[in-house]
Amino acid sequence: MKILLVAEYRDGKLLGTNSELINFATQMGGENCMFLVGSDSTLPNYTGKLYLADAGQAGEFNPSLHKQLLLNVIEKEQPQMVVLAHSSYGWDLAPRLALALKAAQISEVVEVKDGNLVVPSCNAKLRRQVKATTDIAVVTLQGGAFTPAEEPSGAPEVIKVEVAAAGSDIQFAGYEEAEAGGVDLSKAEIIVSAGRGIGKPENLEMIENLAKALKGEYGASRPVVDAEWADPSRQVGTTGQTVTPKLYVACGISGAIQHLAGMKKSEFVLAINTDKDAPIGEIADVLAVADLKQLVPILTEKLNAM
Amino acid sequence: MEYTREIYWNVGHGATTLVPMYLLSLAAVAILVYAFLQRVKIYKQGQKLDRTDQLPLRVTMMVKKVLLQSKVLNVRGPGLAHALFFWGFFLLFLGTCLIVLQADFTDLFFGVKFLQGSFYLFFSLTLDIAGLVAIVMLTGLLIRRFIVRPAGLENSKDDVIMHGLLLAILISGFIIEGARMAVTEMGTPLAAWSPVGLWVAKALSSMGEPAVRGLHSNLWWLHLLMVIVFIAIIPFTKFRHIFTTSANYLFTDLGPKGLIPTIDMEDEEAESFGAATVTDMTWKDIFDADACTSCKRCQDRCPAWATDKPLSPMKMVQQIGEIAFTDPAASLPETIEKDVLWACTTCRACQEICPANIEHVNKIIDMRRNLVLMEGEFPGEEVMTAMENTEVNGNPLGLAFASRGDWAEGLPVVSLGQSTDVDILYFVGCYASFDKRNQAIAKAFVQLCDAAGVRVGILGKEEKCCGEPMRKMGNEYLYQMLASENIEQIKGYGITQIVTTCPHCFNTLNKDYRDLGLDVTVSHYTEYLAELLEQGRLNLTPQSFDCTYHDSCYLGRYNDIYQAPRTLLAAAGAQLTEMEKHGTESFCCSAGGGRILADENIGTRISEKRAQMAAETGAPTLISNCPFCLTMFEDGVKGADLDEQLQPKDLAEILVERISG
Amino acid sequence: MKILVCIKQVPDMESKFKVNTTGNWYDYTDLAWRMNEYDEYAVEQAVQLKQQVGEADLTVLCIGSDRVRETMKKALAMGCDRGAHIADDESYLKDSYAIASLIVSYAKDKGFDLIFTGMQSQDRGSGQVGVLVAEMLGIPSLTTLVEFNYADGTVTAKRELEGGIKAKVSCATPALVTCQLGLNTPRYPTLPNIMKAKKKELISTPAAELNPEASLLEVLQVAPPEKKGGGLVLEGDPADLADQLIKILKEKTTALA
Repeated sequence: MKILLVAEYRDGKLLGTNSELINFATQMGGENCMFLVGSDSTLPNYTGKLYLADAGQAGEFNPSLHKQLLLNVIEKEQPQMVVLAHSSYGWDLAPRLALALKAAQISEVVEVKDGNLVVPSCNAKLRRQVKATTDIAVVTLQGGAFTPAEEPSGAPEVIKVEVAAAGSDIQFAGYEEAEAGGVDLSKAEIIVSAGRGIGKPENLEMIENLAKALKGEYGASRPVVDAEWADPSRQVGTTGQTVTPKLYVACGISGAIQHLAGMKKSEFVLAINTDKDAPIGEIADVLAVADLKQLVPILTEKLNAM
Repeated sequence: MEYTREIYWNVGHGATTLVPMYLLSLAAVAILVYAFLQRVKIYKQGQKLDRTDQLPLRVTMMVKKVLLQSKVLNVRGPGLAHALFFWGFFLLFLGTCLIVLQADFTDLFFGVKFLQGSFYLFFSLTLDIAGLVAIVMLTGLLIRRFIVRPAGLENSKDDVIMHGLLLAILISGFIIEGARMAVTEMGTPLAAWSPVGLWVAKALSSMGEPAVRGLHSNLWWLHLLMVIVFIAIIPFTKFRHIFTTSANYLFTDLGPKGLIPTIDMEDEEAESFGAATVTDMTWKDIFDADACTSCKRCQDRCPAWATDKPLSPMKMVQQIGEIAFTDPAASLPETIEKDVLWACTTCRACQEICPANIEHVNKIIDMRRNLVLMEGEFPGEEVMTAMENTEVNGNPLGLAFASRGDWAEGLPVVSLGQSTDVDILYFVGCYASFDKRNQAIAKAFVQLCDAAGVRVGILGKEEKCCGEPMRKMGNEYLYQMLASENIEQIKGYGITQIVTTCPHCFNTLNKDYRDLGLDVTVSHYTEYLAELLEQGRLNLTPQSFDCTYHDSCYLGRYNDIYQAPRTLLAAAGAQLTEMEKHGTESFCCSAGGGRILADENIGTRISEKRAQMAAETGAPTLISNCPFCLTMFEDGVKGADLDEQLQPKDLAEILVERISG
Repeated sequence: MKILVCIKQVPDMESKFKVNTTGNWYDYTDLAWRMNEYDEYAVEQAVQLKQQVGEADLTVLCIGSDRVRETMKKALAMGCDRGAHIADDESYLKDSYAIASLIVSYAKDKGFDLIFTGMQSQDRGSGQVGVLVAEMLGIPSLTTLVEFNYADGTVTAKRELEGGIKAKVSCATPALVTCQLGLNTPRYPTLPNIMKAKKKELISTPAAELNPEASLLEVLQVAPPEKKGGGLVLEGDPADLADQLIKILKEKTTALA
């Protein structure tokens, strides 16, 4: 089977998901090649054929043009599967491509099982195994589902793709940076939250440090925000933000229902609490019964040493 | 000697006295009546409301409350002063009426005099004492108002006029009496029966008779004029409360406490819901402002006001009156301000203490209804989310309705869907069903019932939120939807008795739901268990412990259930130290009025204030019996840094540890 | 101006999901139903556009059994003028492609200037239908919008990218947009609007009459994810615990990737 990977390039940088595409293709076996609208000064660590169109000519965001360029490559390479990341670029481009190919699209693959693709449903409470009935399928991968154990290495064989000047029905006018201040926890993938168990506002720092060590954001439960130890934008709960991170670390949070409601949808919950029977234990994947003032600094230290 | 006096002595019996006197009186009364009629026009801008049913009962209540000053006396200090002043003044008024009755009627037409003999002695003494008491009390009230100046008591021109005029009338009355006695009663046994007048007479003894007579007749006419002015300005000043407050006793709400009008959702003609302007409110809502004397007892007890939120029940009531008189088309939410409206917890402390029978709470709910039903507005997004959660899953927490009955697994409870062979339906409520901390109460209650041999059934996933927080927030539509669905379930199972562990569910099922067709006995678990205890079906082994007890608003003030929980506590072995604010004076936990759904963003935390009050008793345990109170206290105790010394618990948790055998 | 907003009725995500007897989707018992959250933002934006333009007619479309009419009433109560219900008791059997073809069959001759959809559904989450409809109709589409503006036949919007960054985009109408959470604040329907909604036109058309395409995707199996050995309770020396936790995080999550 032959797979065409569609890598991403934005604002002068390659996106980290590219290595996941490569890992997926390796797992699926067979041949693979890559397409990228990017720059020859920033090439991905990939050892196969790379069809490269210049982003300066094609534009970083130009779905109809990117689709057309891809179709040309697809015609040449005849892959059975075209794989993109399930990203704001991928989920926008994939359906356009799929329709043009009259191909089935399988969105947000999380796993390959017995050769079939598995996608989540209903907030990841269920999983579906699906199969395309068409000869060619367009597939998007869930971010973080195919992270390789090691970063790939190597240099690709670059094949330049000609960009014919063509009008677009969509105009792209550039990027806008994220607002400073007022964090949006609802988009955070890793959150370490402080509860009343931290005891004093001074202890919030250890929570922030753990969050940094995990490359995530720090949040807080209601009492901590009410006590003005943390900014209201950090509040997780029914009256704060609802979060859906991959990892939620609840430190000294008892698990009152208003808080649970805000973070229940976390994929993995680690709770650190001295109370073995704290309600948060009901939904925690792991409950570490310990004093967070001891455990958190040690955990942070070990993570930073990794 | 004959024990009597000459009425109209020194001022003349003839037409030169009577004609001007009666003409002036007539004029005063005419002004009084006319001015009140003008005010009635303003009240009538409001919607109709029938408060004249059961008239004999209403009249009796009014007479009793006015004469006994029972509501005024709820606050000891100033209340007693006012009551004594009132009785004094009232006796003087009666006395004057008797004099007029004799002088201008019985004596004039029939030659009958009754102000004589021992009756007259009694009459004289009574009026002298009455007058003295009135002056002393009025002076005390004046000192309190103008010198002591209690916080929040505002003084207006009215107050100055009222105190000044009444004192002048009372004092001049004694001087007139003293002047008369100086000429007619000195050295007679009669004099001793008017001790104050006698004292004044002695003070005038240095004046010669013609001077005294001159003083007497001038002061008599001045006294008359002041009284005429007094009568005439009644409608234009706070004096009007003599009539309006008394009338408010007549127009009292005879319904169950806290009942809100149920909007007819079938009414296709209805274009507007809730109150946007004063004309949307009832005449009684406008009239209430006239009955208000700005005593600020409501404001003093409002938990929102006490924690720096902008809600003053007194101000809100008066603002309604103000715009009714000056700008009836004005927008209520803009005049009163939305933050004020949303701050109310419907704790009823204001209404319970108000000596003028003003109905504060329903006005706020009516205004909230307009904001919610007509504008789709809520105090915050979190409240809108809670409403939507309730629409989807039947509980404001947004948890899956199908797991509502999961807490009961393994317990001696049946789902009515499986078996209706039960003694009671336990209406669990959202918090006891879903919140971990409160599930302990549901479990405890079921165990207590089991110990008493009571078979308990629950609706489980067929139970929906009772709708109370939604209704109090103003969302009448959602409330009625939930209520109808619950009622249908309850009726479908042929339930005859419901017990709840939540006072809000209890109050709503027991009162509000009757308007929508529920006709079943409903009790709160404290009453129910107290009865089981009395019947010997539930036995408790007391284990001594120290505690304080919080009277939740919806059990206490709304339903007058104060004793049953205390009986249970005693049976459990509690050494109870009462908080200063307990019983009818209990201080709200802050979660009522639908505010359990909302963020508390303004001022300080009500729950922390209450936690501090509990901690001040020195008791290590704070007992309550409402899931909202328990939730608020868990937060409040931690927030006030009291978690080392105070632990919130529900009464059921205490009892379940003490089941005998 | 003619506007269309496409919504889906989905189960509330708090529900406990069980696989149905056929094994190809979730069982419908004990589920609470609601409008797909992303579609709420779509409806709100469509209503706001209608209010901005003034002379506009807004249709809400929904595919499913008769049960979805309840959700359509909410859209009508928020301000849509009329409802088009495409009756299909087994809509879950159609994949995104088939669903899109149904919508296109309905919409293609009606001259909609703007079509709003949510960017994905909460149950299936494929995120394809919106763009497919646009591509089939041959109109431009802008996805993942967190800001929307319309003036004189042009849509100017912002897409939400990863890391809180936004992309500024625009296109001419007729066009289709897919809405991301946070695009606006969906209004709470007022009571008069709820009552009016009961009387608004809501026409049901059987799906078969619209000749949908066949699905391109086959569902082999639906199952709950494997248990992560949930609810592990660990105690002990903090240093040991820290080591254990790091190991678990590596194995069970992508957090340390």
